[in-house]
Amino acid sequence: MTSYLIAMATFASIYAILALGLNVMWGMAGMVNLGIVGFYAFGAYISALLTVNAHAPIALGFLAAMIGTAAMGALVTLGIMRLRDDYLAIVTLGFAEVVRIVAENEIWLTRGTDGISGIPQPLKHLLGADFNLAYLIFCLVIVALTLFVLERVRTSPFGRVLRAIREDAQVAAFAGKDVLKFKVKAFALGGALAGLAGALYAHYTSYIVPEIYVPLLTIYIFLALTAGGIGNNFGAVIGAFVVVFFLESTRFLIGVVPWLSAEQLAALREFLVGLGLLLVLYARPRGLMPEPLPRLAGPS
Amino acid sequence: MSRLITRRGALLTGAATIAAPFVITSPGFGQTGPIKIAGLVSLTGSGSPFGPNSRVAHQAVVDQVNAAGGLLGRKIEYLAEDDQTNAEAGVRATRKLIDVDKVSAIMSVWASAVGSAVVPLCWENKVMLLGISAADSIALLPHQGYFVRTQPHTELQGKEFARFALAQGAKNLYLIMPQTPFTETVFKAIRDTVEPKGVKVQSTIIDGKKTSFRSEIDEMVRATPDLFMMGGYQAENIVMAKDLFRANFKGKVMGFAYGMTAAFIDGAGKDAAEGMYAVAEPSPAGGSSAYAALKALVKRDTLDTYICQAYDHANLVILSMAKGKDASGTGVRDNIRKIANNDSAMKVDNALDGLKALADGKEIKYAGASGPCKFSDIGNIIEVAFRTTQIKDGKLVEVKI
Amino acid sequence: MLEKTLQLSLNGLMAGAVLAVPAIGLTMIYAVLRFVNFSVAAHMAVGAYAGYMLNAWLKFSAWLAVVGAFVAAGAAGIASDHVALRPLRGYSALTIAIASIALNLMIESTIRFFFGGSPRDYAIPLRRDWTFGFLHVGPQQVENAAIALIAMALLFVFMMLTITGKAMRAVADNPMLADSKGIDPDRMARLAVGIGMGLAGIGGMLVGLDTSIDPLVGFRAILSVFAAAVVGGLGSVPGAVIGGLAIGLSEELSLLALPATYKSAIGFLAILVVLTFRPRGLLGAKTA
Repeated sequence: MTSYLIAMATFASIYAILALGLNVMWGMAGMVNLGIVGFYAFGAYISALLTVNAHAPIALGFLAAMIGTAAMGALVTLGIMRLRDDYLAIVTLGFAEVVRIVAENEIWLTRGTDGISGIPQPLKHLLGADFNLAYLIFCLVIVALTLFVLERVRTSPFGRVLRAIREDAQVAAFAGKDVLKFKVKAFALGGALAGLAGALYAHYTSYIVPEIYVPLLTIYIFLALTAGGIGNNFGAVIGAFVVVFFLESTRFLIGVVPWLSAEQLAALREFLVGLGLLLVLYARPRGLMPEPLPRLAGPS
Repeated sequence: MSRLITRRGALLTGAATIAAPFVITSPGFGQTGPIKIAGLVSLTGSGSPFGPNSRVAHQAVVDQVNAAGGLLGRKIEYLAEDDQTNAEAGVRATRKLIDVDKVSAIMSVWASAVGSAVVPLCWENKVMLLGISAADSIALLPHQGYFVRTQPHTELQGKEFARFALAQGAKNLYLIMPQTPFTETVFKAIRDTVEPKGVKVQSTIIDGKKTSFRSEIDEMVRATPDLFMMGGYQAENIVMAKDLFRANFKGKVMGFAYGMTAAFIDGAGKDAAEGMYAVAEPSPAGGSSAYAALKALVKRDTLDTYICQAYDHANLVILSMAKGKDASGTGVRDNIRKIANNDSAMKVDNALDGLKALADGKEIKYAGASGPCKFSDIGNIIEVAFRTTQIKDGKLVEVKI
Repeated sequence: MLEKTLQLSLNGLMAGAVLAVPAIGLTMIYAVLRFVNFSVAAHMAVGAYAGYMLNAWLKFSAWLAVVGAFVAAGAAGIASDHVALRPLRGYSALTIAIASIALNLMIESTIRFFFGGSPRDYAIPLRRDWTFGFLHVGPQQVENAAIALIAMALLFVFMMLTITGKAMRAVADNPMLADSKGIDPDRMARLAVGIGMGLAGIGGMLVGLDTSIDPLVGFRAILSVFAAAVVGGLGSVPGAVIGGLAIGLSEELSLLALPATYKSAIGFLAILVVLTFRPRGLLGAKTA
């Protein structure tokens, strides 16, 4: 049981970093990204390919994953900066699908639908059975560090400008802020976090394959962030743990409704994910924890 | 040593605090509780047409054995988890099966990607994994023997297609398959065999997630092949078969047996499916008593290869445990070849007969509904017997080639 | 080469006509309610399964079943919108769009709950293609395109000639003004959702008539449907028609230049190209 909890907490930590990345893009800068899973995939593939094919050290893989996805985030922003929210939602969703399709088909590079196995796990040979626990602690430290950095960012002048852009980009531009530059930076930062989460996943399970990166995963992350509270970093982390807890606890439904077939139960589990997201949106459109706004902020 | 223990203790305390919100009370079974085995099946996602069948076969075998008094004096408990046809969801489900339920064996994982993702968890935790996934790469992982599969690996299947094509006297071959982990291996195996014999081969890989493949079929028809390989799963094959009928395609058509099931014939319609060949179906060796027994057990008229393999998995696991008098995953690993590869022993084709023979102190050789079930060192099936069926008047009829 | 290009174009136009129907549904809902309703995918499946029950179980003709698909998906649309999305009116368009993703998952899994995941088939006879010189086309394709055109024509008549249709256009053009003229915005919203999701249902059934259906029948088509609506300009019905044809054509013609495995990516590429030059799509409104 303990090892199960450790594994699930590790998944939750990885989701938490994804949710934090999404929070920078959406919660802080106000640009929705339904393609967060594309960044997550990109980071995982960068680190996996570097460490497996080029035998690079794992730390370098992580670093390259973050830099690569940050660059990708910046590039994507340049492509979508003129788009309204509605278009942004669809374009980013399509973007993630294209990342997956490329990973599936450029077999010479990504090994296609066969996936990449044998991705090195840090210190696995030294830690042996302790690896899982040590990796959880590693993930939690990264979550804590990310939280610390993002809280600094949020209360910094940079964070305040982002919030201003989110509330009204025109006013921010009028006040002399280079809106595009701030958006590019926010997307790069959020992208880097998603890439970091991708690398964390790849080196944890040691196997990645394009079909992991499906839109359903994006839904989980949105559920985490909305449950926790859009704009609130601590909420994003708590939300991620709540989501994994929720996903896993629905497994135990079988004891509650034994008269349903396994197929129907599986469908019911998916239904509950949808219902959960909907209820979270109703109950508190701002999530469990509202965004902490500085006292001097004007009425929003 | 003591330092190690302290460190581990400290780590565990930390983790327990963090994991506190996750704690779910579990009954916790000791050695005297039931023997637990599980199915990791696809109930949602693209594998959802197949997963439910595997579950039915597993449960039927377990019920049968329990009704006859159980295994090693214990009841068998069967659990199934949905892998959502997704590697990450598969890993989480496997974690639950291994860590919470403490199962000894996980059976009938279908998607190759899920198989590759969960096999490291299985060997690290000494749990046996039995697959129906075909990608060649899975068996090459360092699984220490904790993996076997009854699905012939793809190179074998490719060669069987080539053999069929040559037997049909094909001169101009056209292959269409969706992008899968084994598409390239199958294409290569076919090309390598038939091209030296002067057969022309063209191939296209399609996007299986689209709703229609009409233009791809048009392109194929324009090339006027005398033999067309329709290499999809049943969903894609239904769509392609309809378009073949509409385009009035005159050549012969062959496909993977797993994609040309009774459900395929229903979906595509009798007219469209008429005359097509289902190739590379692993077939029961020496008569089909296991096949007939499974039909009766699950009360079905037709069986696809996956349900046959799932049935074999459950029988193999139970008999391996009985053979070694060891209900652990390692017990299955160490004994599975003693009951599967022992050609000189008494042949059995179901768990009940096998348990009885073992109790009488006899050696046994399990030969199942999907074939002889003989495994190589890396867990691939060897000496597979394939059969070919042809669709005649809406029924799959075995043909000799 | 010319033969191939012409055949691909013909296939593309036929597929595009079918694609345009749910794209119109999406764009109509957007025009009146101002949010992207992702549950179009699930409503396509609702229509496909409603048509399936009428056609395969109750032996209705395919044409009648299409009407049933419209009614069922429309009713499901109004009901699900009323229960799931209406409580969120007033929140940002994005919040509602995300709620519609949740709704989509709920509807799809409900269908899976009752029908399972195996493919199902309509009870219609397969017919051979008609051949014209080097071109050929399937009767079912032609029928599907015809059904799509009739649905579009009826919608056009409704929007242009009836008082309710004019009122709906007024709401789409200027909600404030429409409100001041005494047009009930709630009624218009219900109507737009009903017609829009009904059209999605027809689209789902048409896709199924040509191929087969399963709970993901709408989901598989949804990227192309979104691409059609976005390329045409969200909120513009004629735009969705043009967008549908453009996406259908470019997906098929892509086979001339790209591997078939990249077909799903074409819609996205089309979006990028069009939005780079026209950020609101081909016929998207400048204002709002």
